[in-house]
Amino acid sequence: MDVGSTPTQLPAGILMATENSADVIVVGTGIVGCLVAQQMLDSGLSVVMLEAGPRVDRWRIVENYRNLPPTLRLHFDAPYPPKAWAPHMESYTDAAAAEYLQLEGPNARAYRQGYVRYAGGTTWHWAGICWRLTPQDMRLKSLYGVARDWDFDYDTLEPYYTRAEYAIGVCGPSDASLQWPPMRSKPYPMGPLPFGPGEQRFTDAAARLGLKNLPSAQARNSRISYDGRPPCCGNNNCIPVCPIAAKYDAATALPKIEAKGGRILANAVAYRVETDQKNAIAAVHYFDPDRRSHRVTGRIFVLACNGIETPKLLLLSKDDRNPNGVANSSDQVGRNMMDQPKLVAELTLADPLWTGVGPVQGSSIMQTSQGDFRGRHGGALFRFNNMARSTFGGVAAIRKGLVGRALDEEIRRLSACTAEIAIEHELLPDPNNRLTLSSKKDWLGINKPNIYYDVGDYVRRSAQEYSVPLVRKLAAELGSTDVKVSTEFTNSDHIMGGTIMGANSATAVVDLDCRAHDHPNLFLPGGGAMTTAGCGNSTLTMAALALKAADAIAGQVKRG
Amino acid sequence: MNPSDRDDAPPEFSLLRRKTLIGGGLLLGGFVASPRISAAPEAPATADFDNYFIQLSSLLIQHQLDREVGLRLAAALRTRDPEFTAHVSALLDIARKKNAKIVEEFFPDVPDGPLKDTALLIISAWYLGVIVDEPGAEVFAYELALMYQPTLDVMTIPTYAISGPNEWTSEAPPLNSLPAF
Repeated sequence: MDVGSTPTQLPAGILMATENSADVIVVGTGIVGCLVAQQMLDSGLSVVMLEAGPRVDRWRIVENYRNLPPTLRLHFDAPYPPKAWAPHMESYTDAAAAEYLQLEGPNARAYRQGYVRYAGGTTWHWAGICWRLTPQDMRLKSLYGVARDWDFDYDTLEPYYTRAEYAIGVCGPSDASLQWPPMRSKPYPMGPLPFGPGEQRFTDAAARLGLKNLPSAQARNSRISYDGRPPCCGNNNCIPVCPIAAKYDAATALPKIEAKGGRILANAVAYRVETDQKNAIAAVHYFDPDRRSHRVTGRIFVLACNGIETPKLLLLSKDDRNPNGVANSSDQVGRNMMDQPKLVAELTLADPLWTGVGPVQGSSIMQTSQGDFRGRHGGALFRFNNMARSTFGGVAAIRKGLVGRALDEEIRRLSACTAEIAIEHELLPDPNNRLTLSSKKDWLGINKPNIYYDVGDYVRRSAQEYSVPLVRKLAAELGSTDVKVSTEFTNSDHIMGGTIMGANSATAVVDLDCRAHDHPNLFLPGGGAMTTAGCGNSTLTMAALALKAADAIAGQVKRG
Repeated sequence: MNPSDRDDAPPEFSLLRRKTLIGGGLLLGGFVASPRISAAPEAPATADFDNYFIQLSSLLIQHQLDREVGLRLAAALRTRDPEFTAHVSALLDIARKKNAKIVEEFFPDVPDGPLKDTALLIISAWYLGVIVDEPGAEVFAYELALMYQPTLDVMTIPTYAISGPNEWTSEAPPLNSLPAF
C-alpha cells in the first residue's frame, strides 16, 4: 500500500487526513495520544491515530466483567482479552502472565505491568487518581544527591497540570491544606468526592498518628456532569471499568476526536518507524490483522503507546542511520524503567471498617513521600483500598464450608472487618532496569519486550526502615487484630522512564518538549519521558507532558 | 467509525452464550409449566429433578432463590456429575427424616464425603454464582449471587450503584444487622 500525496485544494501546509497520511500521526489511543490528537485538531491540523488493539463498546467490557468468575474479577486485565495481534499481559495464572512480557532480574514479578492494548488504552482500567509531582520530586539530585533533576521546574509544569485537570475533569478539595501539592494556579474544576466509612476511619486513625490522609485529586465527575460525562454514582468499579463513564477514560475521547475530523485506525499494529535521508521520520509501518503491511506518512509523528510499547517500537525500528534503534543515540531508550513498587498490608479487625462505598480509591497519605531521608531511601504513599470486599468475603467464607446463618455472618464479617493498605514506593531511575527486545516473537512475528528489573536498595531500605514499620502503626491504630504485609514487591502499573527526558542529548532520549533529540519531527510524550517517578500515580504528569508536547508540535508546524 | 472496526469479545465472553442459556432455562421452565409437552421421554424426569433441586436448595439456603438461576444450575450440575441426581434425592431424604425446615436442622446429619460435598457445592454455586471459581468458568449469576447480599445495606455490588451523586456517607450500620434477602 502506498502513501497519499498532499491534496492541492487544501490550505498550504495542511494535509487532508486519509487512512495513510495526515499532518500528525499519533500511535496509541490512550490518554496521552488522545490529548495530543485533540489539541492538534483544535489547531487545525489533520490527525490519523493508530491503535494496535480493538475498539470495544463500554457495555461489552462491563458484561465481560460481570461474566468473570469471582476470583478473576480481581484481575483488572481479565475483562480485556487481548487480540492475537495485540497481546498484553494476562494475569489469571503465572503461566499466562509469562506469555507476553518477558521479565527477569531480582524483582521480575514487580514489573508485571497491567496495561491493555485496546482503543482508549489503559485509562479503561485506571483508578483515575491524579496526583501531581511536588517541586522536590523534580529535584532529587540537587536536594538529596540521588537520581537526576528534571531540566525544568515545577513552575514550568504547573500550567500544564492545570490544563490537564480541566481537559480530563479532575475533582479535588478547594482547601489548600488538603491539596497535594498546595501550589496551584486555579482551583480544581470540581469539588471533592465524599469518603465512605472505611476511608473516613482510616483518615481518623492516620490523624491520631499525626498523618494526613488527603482526598485524592481524581478524574471522576463529582456531583455534576463534566465534558458530556455523568457524575460518579459510586458504582465502585473504577477498576476495571467505570460502567457509566463518570471516570475519565480515553475511550470517551475517541468519538470527540472523530467529530473533529480525526481518523482512528483500530487493529493497526505499528511495528517500524521509518527515517529519511535527513534522519527525520518519514513514515510509520503497521500490520493489520491479516498481516498485511501498511505505510502511513505525516509531518509530525507522536508515539504514545505507553512506557513499554514505545521503547519497544523504537528498538524495533533500528536502521543504518540508527543502528541502536530510532531516537537512541544516547543508548537510553528502554533504560531507567520505573514504577512504584508496591507492598500490601492485609488487615483483620475486630470492628467493621467497611469498603465498597464510593470509588475504589479516593485518598492517600502523601506527606510520607517527602523528607530528607530521600538521600538514603525512597518515600512511600499509603492508600486505603476502597474496593468492595464482598467478593473476597464471599469466596473466603464459602471455602470454610459454612452453611446457614453462620455463612451469612462470616461473609459479612470478612467483608466488613478486613481491609488492605497499599504502599507504593519511590523508585530511582537506574539504567540497568532495561527493556530490550526478546528473541521470542508474538503472533505477528514482532519481538516481545524483555525487561530486567531490580527495585534496588533505595526501595528495599524504604520498606525495611520506613514504610513497613509505619504501616504496622497504622494497622494498630485502626484496631487490627492481625496484619500480614506482603514481602514480594508487585507492580503499580505506572510505567515510566524508558524514553527519559533531559536537555543533554547524550544522556536523555527526549528534550524538554518530549521531542526526540535525534529526530526533529518525532515526539514521545508520556510516562516514558518522566525523569523521576515520585510516589504518586503517574497519569496526570503524563497528561501534562502531552499538552506541553502538543504546544511544541503546534508551534513547530506553524513555523514550518 | 467503520462498523467493521467494531469488536466483539471472544466467544467465551459473548452475550450470545448468556442468551442461549437463558433460552434453555426458559425451555426447562416450560416443561414444568406445560403438561401438554410432557410426552417427551426425558421431560418428566427433568421436571421432577428440577423441582427436587429447587426444593433442596431452599432447604440448604434460607433466602429468596431465583428459579431461573436454579434451573440453569440444576442442568449444569446434573450434566457435570452423573451421581448428582442421586445425591439430591439422598440429601432430601435426610432432610425429610429430620422434618427439617432450615439447613441447621439437618446438615449435621449429612455424612462426610460425596453427599456433604454435593450439599456444599450447591450452596457455593448459589453464593458465588459459579460452579467452579476458575478461569473460563461459566457464570450463572452476578448481581443475584448470594455472596453480595449479606452486605448489601452498605456495599455496592461492583458496577451497580446504591446511592446517587455524592450521596454516600461515612456512616455504616453495625456488623450484627444482617439484611433480609
